[in-house]
Amino acid sequence: MEHKDIDHLFRHHSGKMVSVLTRIFGLQHLDIIEDAVQDTFIKASITWRKQKPEHPEAWLTKAAKNRVLDIFRTLKSQKNNLPNITQGTDAIAINELFLDAEIEDAQLRMIFTACHPKLDPRDRISFALKTVSGFSIKEIASALLTKEETIKKRLLRARKAIKKANLQFNIPQGKTLQERLDSVMEVLYLIFNEGFHSNSKDQLIRTELCGEALRLCKLLLKHKQTQLPESYALFALMCFHSARLEAKKSANNEVLDLKQQDRTLWHFPLIQLGNTMMHKAVETEVFSCYHYEAAIAAEHLQAETFENTNWTKILHWYNELYELQPMPSHLLTMAVICIQTKNYKTADTYFKQLQPEDLEQRAYLYYAAKADYFAETNNYNEALVQLDMALKTVTNTLEKAYLLKKQSAWLQF
Amino acid sequence: MKDFMMIFVGKEYVDLGMSPDELQGRMEKWFAWGEKMEKAGILRGGEALTPQIRRVTGKNRTVTDLTSAEVKEIVGGFYLIKAKDFDAVQEIAQDFPDYDLGNTVEIREIMVFDR
Repeated sequence: MEHKDIDHLFRHHSGKMVSVLTRIFGLQHLDIIEDAVQDTFIKASITWRKQKPEHPEAWLTKAAKNRVLDIFRTLKSQKNNLPNITQGTDAIAINELFLDAEIEDAQLRMIFTACHPKLDPRDRISFALKTVSGFSIKEIASALLTKEETIKKRLLRARKAIKKANLQFNIPQGKTLQERLDSVMEVLYLIFNEGFHSNSKDQLIRTELCGEALRLCKLLLKHKQTQLPESYALFALMCFHSARLEAKKSANNEVLDLKQQDRTLWHFPLIQLGNTMMHKAVETEVFSCYHYEAAIAAEHLQAETFENTNWTKILHWYNELYELQPMPSHLLTMAVICIQTKNYKTADTYFKQLQPEDLEQRAYLYYAAKADYFAETNNYNEALVQLDMALKTVTNTLEKAYLLKKQSAWLQF
Repeated sequence: MKDFMMIFVGKEYVDLGMSPDELQGRMEKWFAWGEKMEKAGILRGGEALTPQIRRVTGKNRTVTDLTSAEVKEIVGGFYLIKAKDFDAVQEIAQDFPDYDLGNTVEIREIMVFDR
């Protein structure tokens, strides 16, 4: 048995089995199902010590199937009204649910459940990571830089919401599909960003979150109803960002920005995959936020050096993105791009539409950008005033050090 | 060469809420350890034990049913190996995967009876 075949086998298999079993028994039995699946992994981890099976995945599937019957007997004895699945056509139908295509279908149902609007937005990510991705509470907590207790509460709340709303385990059809899919993509996007922008020093966890988001997004692309231009765009966006994941971290574990990154470390196959996906994504008249974000990411990847970046194009995409998604952070980015291209007049028009408070706890980014603006236009007095404001509001120590360095340089003028 | 038993005592995986990924990681380590001993030709046998306990104690033969969750420590399994002495077994026991869980390897020599 090759090691690479088995990488994360248990974790991935967990999501598959929980989904298939939920399809058989229904969401109301999720607790029992998760315990049963966990049991099969404990059994495997002990049985396989001596002898690993030739087909590990088949072994796990069979073990899970056997557990189905065990659970079924338990549930039956608790007088739940369940169909008799041990024999006849129901048993055949159940065997079919363990085929690859049906497993993927069940996983997609689980993703739609996890991202259901009836669940609190904060609970969706935790629930998805637990049930679809096979993360433990501890792993979710460390991935999201949150306490285990908080994650436990979120999972509990999610389950309660599912029961209360009596959610059906299906892939939405017709009119509701688009709205539900938007929610799914948002959650996948957030999971990805948690990994990509995380302040966690643990590179492994960050890579795993990004990988997980990619894996789940791929499931969307495999299903006829969910392989839409915007899901391709989201996948492309994740590919483009993932290509830079390794280059984002210095030898001292510091986060490097686009200007500092060693571009030879960018992962070319992922860029290619992103490009392929982008071609499929643009077969539409209507572009989503993901289209524009992917376009921006692609533009960065095309530049051989930071200085060669095509800022005009990037600014164009940001303008389009801002139309769809009028967020103050986009305005600020556009102002920064204009400073970069020495287009101070336009930068000023963007600043005029912004208030530092709009950026909430990231207001220091506004002051820092404004400081750069004044420094570039040789108004060092005003630049230092703005920098002072930035220093007063910044909380991150790394960012603070960066700003202080700037301050001492400008004091020379 | 003498016969020794390595007895594994401590907490059970089932009571620790381990993730599938962690379980897989530990399984890989156990497998590697077993394979290493096998290759060295010192492995004589071994078993893992389920976490159910039935205890019969005292002159009244009092019977108690317990699971690993209800006891402080439980014997989880054992390996039988051939080695020169305790020091040699101690060296082999370095690869036991579950020290980080606070678990223990108890090394015991198999008694040889004079015939």
